[in-house]
Amino acid sequence: MLLSYKWIKEFVDLADSVTPDEVAARLKASTVEVEKVTHLGENLNKITVGRVISADAHPNADKLKVCQVDLGRETVQIVCGGSNVVANMLVAVAEIGARVRWHGEGELVELGPVKLRGVDSAGMICASSEIGLGDIFPAHDEKEILDLTKHDFKPGVNLAEALVLDDAVMEIENKSLSNRPDLWGHYGIAREVSVLFHRDLKKYETIKINEGKSKIKVSADAALAPRYMAVKMRNVSISPSPSWLVNKLNAVGVNAVNNIVDVTNFVMLELGLPLHAFDARSFPKDKIIVRAAESGEKIKTLDGKEYGLKEGEDIVIANDSEALCVAGVMGGEKSGVQSDTTEIVIESANFAPSSIRRTSTRLGLRTDAAMRFEKSLDPNLCPIALARAVELIVKVCPGAEVVTSVTDVKKFNLPVGPISVDYTKIDSVIGAVVDRKEINRILTALGFELKEKKTGVSVKIPTWRATKDVGIAEDIAEEVLRIWGYANVAPAMPKFSITPPEQDARRHLVWQVRDSLSLISQFSELKLYSFVSPDTLKKLNINPADCLTLDNPIAKDRPFLRPSIIVNLLEALESNLHRYDRVAIYEIGRVFDPNGSGPRTEKNSPELLPSQNVKLGIVYSAKGNEQPYFAVKEALRQIANESGLEFKFVKPKNVLSYAHSGRTAEIFVGAECVGVIAELHPANAKAMGISVRASFAEIDLDICANLRKSVRKYIDISEFPQVTRDMAIIVPRNVQHADIVAAIMNTNSLVTRVKLFDVYEGEKIDVKKKSVAYHITLGAGDHTLGTEEIENVLQMILKTLRDKFTAELRS
Amino acid sequence: MQDKIKKIIDDLRVEIKSVVSEEALVNLEQKYFSRKSGVLSDLMKNLATLGVEEKKVMGKILNDAKVLMEEIVGSARSSIEKSNFEEIAKTEAIDITAPQISAKDPGTIHILSRIERDLEKVFTSMGFIVFDGPELESDYYNFTAVNIPPHHPARDMQDTFYITGHPNWVLRTHTSSTQVRALQKYGAPIRVIVPGRCFRNEATDARHEHTFDQLEGMVVGHDVSFAHMKGVIKEFLSKIFNTEVEVRYRPKFYPFVEPGVNVELSCFLCAGKGCRVCKKTGWLEIGGAGMIHPNVLREGGIDPENNQGFAFGFGIARIVMLRYGISDARYFLSSDLRQYISE
Repeated sequence: MLLSYKWIKEFVDLADSVTPDEVAARLKASTVEVEKVTHLGENLNKITVGRVISADAHPNADKLKVCQVDLGRETVQIVCGGSNVVANMLVAVAEIGARVRWHGEGELVELGPVKLRGVDSAGMICASSEIGLGDIFPAHDEKEILDLTKHDFKPGVNLAEALVLDDAVMEIENKSLSNRPDLWGHYGIAREVSVLFHRDLKKYETIKINEGKSKIKVSADAALAPRYMAVKMRNVSISPSPSWLVNKLNAVGVNAVNNIVDVTNFVMLELGLPLHAFDARSFPKDKIIVRAAESGEKIKTLDGKEYGLKEGEDIVIANDSEALCVAGVMGGEKSGVQSDTTEIVIESANFAPSSIRRTSTRLGLRTDAAMRFEKSLDPNLCPIALARAVELIVKVCPGAEVVTSVTDVKKFNLPVGPISVDYTKIDSVIGAVVDRKEINRILTALGFELKEKKTGVSVKIPTWRATKDVGIAEDIAEEVLRIWGYANVAPAMPKFSITPPEQDARRHLVWQVRDSLSLISQFSELKLYSFVSPDTLKKLNINPADCLTLDNPIAKDRPFLRPSIIVNLLEALESNLHRYDRVAIYEIGRVFDPNGSGPRTEKNSPELLPSQNVKLGIVYSAKGNEQPYFAVKEALRQIANESGLEFKFVKPKNVLSYAHSGRTAEIFVGAECVGVIAELHPANAKAMGISVRASFAEIDLDICANLRKSVRKYIDISEFPQVTRDMAIIVPRNVQHADIVAAIMNTNSLVTRVKLFDVYEGEKIDVKKKSVAYHITLGAGDHTLGTEEIENVLQMILKTLRDKFTAELRS
Repeated sequence: MQDKIKKIIDDLRVEIKSVVSEEALVNLEQKYFSRKSGVLSDLMKNLATLGVEEKKVMGKILNDAKVLMEEIVGSARSSIEKSNFEEIAKTEAIDITAPQISAKDPGTIHILSRIERDLEKVFTSMGFIVFDGPELESDYYNFTAVNIPPHHPARDMQDTFYITGHPNWVLRTHTSSTQVRALQKYGAPIRVIVPGRCFRNEATDARHEHTFDQLEGMVVGHDVSFAHMKGVIKEFLSKIFNTEVEVRYRPKFYPFVEPGVNVELSCFLCAGKGCRVCKKTGWLEIGGAGMIHPNVLREGGIDPENNQGFAFGFGIARIVMLRYGISDARYFLSSDLRQYISE
């Protein structure tokens, strides 16, 4: 929204020493976001109104014209690239020495005489953005020059003088006004300025409408329109507005249309309430119906487009036979003011904000009117705006007169209080003591009516703040704080017990995992999107039915929530294998399982969200490593070491759809399965475009966090020597290492450690067998082992292995 | 005999001067000390022929001479060794600037994780609980519980991802979705932060990501005020940026706070003078904050008559971008290892 500084000043008598930039700075600090302040007329030296006498084709360039331009005192030749330049057009000419912004961008550049494609050019015919007027004269395309023909300017006049550009325009960010229905017009902003600068706000005076005898009937559903006022005027003649009105609208970027439409826009810009003027012929029986749209109803609006309306939701203004206007959003094509209109009906109404919002969003019609109505405007604006509009119409259209009484159909109840607010409540919210007089001044100036009580005030909320914005003591504290100034509050630290905060076990584990993987095992942590593509799911034989789906995915090719942390990691593996021989990556994040149970949707609701535990995914591949499984398993061993988790690897009951079934295990901690480790199945690897062997593991850290042993115990070093003997045995290939170790450990209590140091499968032994070699460490806590004792234990071990696994010593 | 001894010592002193290598020194040692043929050993053998008293006297003299001679040899040896080491230092000198050949790159911890650790450290040192909540959240906790009822215009401010078949499930649009969960779990007084992933259905560009991390903070107690919010925010930003930062507050509407503010940091890149990063304003927006709306406290089971508090929500990526000079928000979720591994 654009605001005219001069317009604001009509309502607040600001000192001359106050500048528009100061006002903008104060508004930014206490009220709204002011995006920029444009000083109109600034840098318009030597920018002159000119009349194009002729615009002829350039001999050497298709897109340029050679123009002779009348500048009053002289005629100059200017080469112009404007797409719309024609003879007799009034244009803005930057003369030699003027400063312009090329194509509206970059720094100001001073013009000198130039030759363009061999033709002399003494200046430039400007686009609005090139002379800082882009906001008030928006161009339709980049090459369009500013057309001033409809203004009655004399060639040779300085443009700033001609346009009366002694104003400054503030651009307000609309979003920052979303909770302030009172600030959508100049008067509301002026009120804020008056409070911030300690000046009086001028009372908004209107002239009482000189009502006629006849009557306009209004039938309005109060749920749709809490207030609907209308009045009919006659002897209206549609013509261009006088220049004072045009200039005022132009200053804030609104195009003049005709005297009646311009008046309604003027009142909206001043008070924030959008008005609508109908051609009175639209209501042949002088009856206005405000109703919800009916089934299948369509309407053609001012923009020339036809819209289908939603039954029971959109509000329309209708006569007996048809809908004329999408209420509060956009007028109808036929029902508005036409060139031959002589009688009009002025509507000053208040519509249900949420309905306006839904309609305008659905139809994509984010009009000035809709933006305002959806913010919950004060219904008490209606009579003020109507009176102002009638007054101005009479002014711009002499002879026009009101022929009906003012119809006012209303049903609303604003929660204006009073609410009781203790000064100490304000102090305690702010954390500082604000002078009571200043509190009272701020609130009174903002329009709150105060009654002092013993410990505070009873506050009556002004209607323009009561629609939804202000209602409780905290709101009052905010009013005081923002005007008094956030910067005036001295920072302080709250007082709290020094009891240490509760620690989150999973978070702690996550950090141990990161440290272990990144710092010890040399894996790199990635963070990837939570969305996966059906294409990749297919490549991994994952059923999309096991995934939750986004209703409105941002990337159409990634509509699913990740069912596993591995999916996107495998994509990342593939892309990085183009650059690295070894890719060792991991991610820790939530995955979404529609079949699992997560937290409750509400405190006591039986409905549960899907489970979304935090999982660790590890992916590893290295050129030349034919058994990457063990690299991943080793990384897990380091994690186990760091975290105290004891992982067990068990032949899986169910093999993952993309796992190599001969190279996969379920990972257990105690009796609980916490994850899976596997080599990527060669077929899936091929589908993914991964040409080297890759392995991965996925572990549920939420489950693991609860399974950790809290304390690990120290074991004394025995004072008696330990003895290590090597033993290589040949066993069938399907005999598992873990079982061999368990068997050896269980043979005799003197065995303290068993460590695998070699595995061999190949030509030298039976194809169905493998050779495994172990360092076996023996020792006793109370004596040094004798040779015989050692030999004895080794024989016992060998016997156990023979009996259990048909093992034989490798010679 | 004594003369003989003196001469031997003198001879040794002379001869040793010309010895420069360990090898020559060993030869010289042999000449004097060898059991079989050493000059000194010969004298020792003579002792046997002497009488008891004489033996006593001469034995002592001989022994003193031996100690002295060993000292002479010893000092010669250490000076030879010293000069040897000096030589070694020259011949074995290495290029101390060269790296270990084929050193393994360490793994990396993601930059968002690193900053999260820093944030957690600062806040836990101030007694804050680190809390977490679901990323796929109920409409209730994400919106209604934080004072954004159905059809509230504020729902438009955050483009929300919805889940097919579950109209009341959303991907959380902010970590504020955990406010009421935390209040319900811990009650008041409470100090809590929630770092976590959020989602908004917005087109991704250098400044926006549809998937991003937020840091939520919340303090509720009997008399927790706006002044306390300013204190805590300034403290943690100063710790994170490792410099005394200047913070500015401006009015901003969020339905779940009252009063609500925007939090801006003085641009330390240009010291507030105005630069490209701060869009020439001298200030950088890093998040929103405010005093928790009584409706939110009530949803959390907290009596707003006896409690008040503040909450804030900051973009973690924003903090990282400022701290490390990263200009593109899309960096964070990239899978390209070149960004993480230095070569």
